[in-house]
Amino acid sequence: MKKNISVLLSLIVLASLMLAACGTPATEAPVATEAPATEAPATEAPATEAPAAYEGMMVEAPDCEYGGQFKSIEAVDELTVKMTLCVPDPAFPSKIAFTSFAIQPSEYLESTGGNGDLLEKPIGTGPYMIESWERGNQLVLTKNPNYWGENIGAETLVFRWGTESAQRLLELQSGTVDGIDNVGPDDFATVEGDSNLALFNRPALNVMYIAFNNNPQVEGFDNTTNPLANEMVRQAIAMGIDRNRIVDNFYPAGSEVASHFTPCSIPNGCVGDEWYAFDAAAAKALLTEAGYPDGFETVLNYRDVVRGYLPDPNVVAQDIQAQLKENLNITLNIEVMESGAFLAASDAGQLQGLHLLGWGADYPDQTNFLGYHFGDGASKQFGDHWPDITEALAQGAQLADDADREPFYTTANNAIRTHVPMIPVAHGGSALAFKASVEGAFASPLGNEEFSVMSNGTDTFVWMQNAEPISLYCADETDGESLRACEQITQSLLSYETGGTAVEPALAESYEVNDDLTEWVFKLRPGVVFHDGSTLDANDVVTSLSVQWDAGNPLHTGNTGAFSYWSGLFGTFLNAPPE
Amino acid sequence: MTTQTASPLKLDTEGLSLDSVSLWQITRRRLFRRKSSLLGMIILAILIVIALTAQWIAPYDPILSMLDANPPQDIGKRSSPCIHALGCAVDQPQHIMGTDGNIRDEFSRMVYGARLSLLIGISTVTFAIIIGTVLGALGGYFGGWIDNIIMRVMDVLLAFPSLLLAIAIVTVIGPGLINALIAIGIVSIPAYARVVRGSVLSIREMDFVSASRALGGNTYDILFRRILPNALTPLIVQGTLGIASAILDAAALSFLGLGAQPPTPEWGSMLGAERNQVFTAPHLVFYPGLAIMLTVLAFNLLGDGLRDALDPRLAHMS
Repeated sequence: MKKNISVLLSLIVLASLMLAACGTPATEAPVATEAPATEAPATEAPATEAPAAYEGMMVEAPDCEYGGQFKSIEAVDELTVKMTLCVPDPAFPSKIAFTSFAIQPSEYLESTGGNGDLLEKPIGTGPYMIESWERGNQLVLTKNPNYWGENIGAETLVFRWGTESAQRLLELQSGTVDGIDNVGPDDFATVEGDSNLALFNRPALNVMYIAFNNNPQVEGFDNTTNPLANEMVRQAIAMGIDRNRIVDNFYPAGSEVASHFTPCSIPNGCVGDEWYAFDAAAAKALLTEAGYPDGFETVLNYRDVVRGYLPDPNVVAQDIQAQLKENLNITLNIEVMESGAFLAASDAGQLQGLHLLGWGADYPDQTNFLGYHFGDGASKQFGDHWPDITEALAQGAQLADDADREPFYTTANNAIRTHVPMIPVAHGGSALAFKASVEGAFASPLGNEEFSVMSNGTDTFVWMQNAEPISLYCADETDGESLRACEQITQSLLSYETGGTAVEPALAESYEVNDDLTEWVFKLRPGVVFHDGSTLDANDVVTSLSVQWDAGNPLHTGNTGAFSYWSGLFGTFLNAPPE
Repeated sequence: MTTQTASPLKLDTEGLSLDSVSLWQITRRRLFRRKSSLLGMIILAILIVIALTAQWIAPYDPILSMLDANPPQDIGKRSSPCIHALGCAVDQPQHIMGTDGNIRDEFSRMVYGARLSLLIGISTVTFAIIIGTVLGALGGYFGGWIDNIIMRVMDVLLAFPSLLLAIAIVTVIGPGLINALIAIGIVSIPAYARVVRGSVLSIREMDFVSASRALGGNTYDILFRRILPNALTPLIVQGTLGIASAILDAAALSFLGLGAQPPTPEWGSMLGAERNQVFTAPHLVFYPGLAIMLTVLAFNLLGDGLRDALDPRLAHMS
């Protein structure tokens, strides 16, 4: 009898604990609150006739002191989401349209724990859904029968990859693939001369730069001071590299030397002083003044991956190596890294010396170039942030009018020129190639080609890009190969027009904003169904975005946990761990 | 009356006299009589001359971009070969093998590459022979647990494909030419250790070794002055063939970016750097590929010739 009582008591305690656990909000941090956004109706109606009250979620920061841009995300009703910002943001529609802020079912996000299956099997609302991903071989997508939009593409879309441009071109010529990314610079003429192929030039909406890690102590310098922490050294290197020589000799037609970090076609991209002109003698004198008359030895890291901004990485790296040796007696030891490891190390500020990287526009705004790289929420890629840059960028980002923004971006560009966190080298022209028979083929200036608008007249369309996606949870990825694959599968509230940069409705059919650009209310498209059959609602939006925003959320895990796009575009995470 | 008859000449299977000549003389004669080994020696001799005189043969510094030449040349990257004697316009700078992706003279890089390739082959094999010989000799002579330990370690190393093991070693110790040489040297050791052990095992039972032992010779003398000199023949053959595979392995590592680092002119890395230009600038993959092939072929021909020439079954047959 005694035994039975104790078993009963144990069961009661266990049941109480389980109930308590189930009742705990997903975000436990005191600063984030999650509550029904809509109160129960004041007037009571017969229970049998009234629709069940929608339990809208809300995630809110207690105040704006934490440093991020978001104040709250709230599911007002089933098809209405309200986002409140701490500061005005005229570029908000362009930002929220980006692939990283795609919406997935909240139940699915919770079931995966924020990683696991989520990395390889995202569930979206896009024109294609995952059929299989054979790592190292191919990614196979199949047409979404419930897609809310139009999909004239093939029944099956296959992503393949090959690092060698010659291999990609050979596959296209032999007809085993329908389109390829980044035609080799020396192969443009070959494609143009082949009547079976069509070349599509991609506008140079990108930048290739040589980055410095300015932290005084960087692992690898054997406890000696990092010479690149010295601003004069960085300025000397900026003057000691002939960027015209690099672009003239190693970039394809359509490329240009970068006068500023941001391409000039982007509003306020080229305001402020132009970059340093090449002057080897002045560079040498400056390096001597900085205390390195005999130069020094360091490393040059890069990934051997072709991008529009860096069409021939090995050749460019070796020319920089030769120039710095010749002009400044700086010895660069070249270290080629695997792409994913390189990006992760760069983001974490763990790369020593110099490294080559670039950026392709996600949307045409300074916040996507200067804001992402040098703003408050920027990664540690260049080491510590400079307050004069971050302050100017923060102020400029809050203004809607380009003329009003100009003085701030002028200040930021000039401060970047002074501090030299990197050297902007080129805005690289690049091209895609398709079979001439492919209808609807195009090159996106943003690199987000949609295959649902292309048709090759068969059941299968094969696309070949430079590299395999790292993962398909693009909230936590930054590489173009992953993003392009995600764009076929998942969608954001807004999107960019096909082949252009203008923002248009996607999962949200409309939005409204208050006068000071801080309250954004999105009306969701009704009847949109996810690949798993569940219906899109406002809570899916709140969950998808809050897991990125709130570092205390148990689902804030992802592939690396960096969520670089969120911090780069919206600043500090909510509940960010102390540094 | 006595009739004196000349004793018959002792001849080997190829009709060479075995009287009054040393084994090395016979070996040399046989080598020169075999056309294939002669061809190997000729190619090798040319390569050695090129390697030794690279600084005089090469028209340019192998790491100098023509944009930095004095005066700078107006020439593009990956330009086709230009030989004035064959009709190339005289106002164009002469580059008999064209220029590479960084606008460096391909011929100069090929010439300096010969020096590096021979150095790689010889140094790695020398390293492997020294270590392998010592290990094999100790194992073969002493036997027992020493032999067991040494040979089991060698068996473990042999269980991996050599190139795969070299890649693994370089991955651990980091890419670079020296590290690649160490890796190739390490993976080459077991082959030499086994060869030497086998020879020592048979020679240590021979009468002259027993005699040395009976005369009170110490272990060091017996092993290194009596046994090892008589075990060199298979080692020489193995070493010659080993140089070829070492060069090939080093080229493979460099091709993969794990060996020689830019801007070092190494044939494997030159091939790897221009692999995408196989259709647009085929000369940039043809020349390094041809050079690797010829060098490996030369060592293989020489190795095969040495194996036959040093074969005691052939030497003592009359």
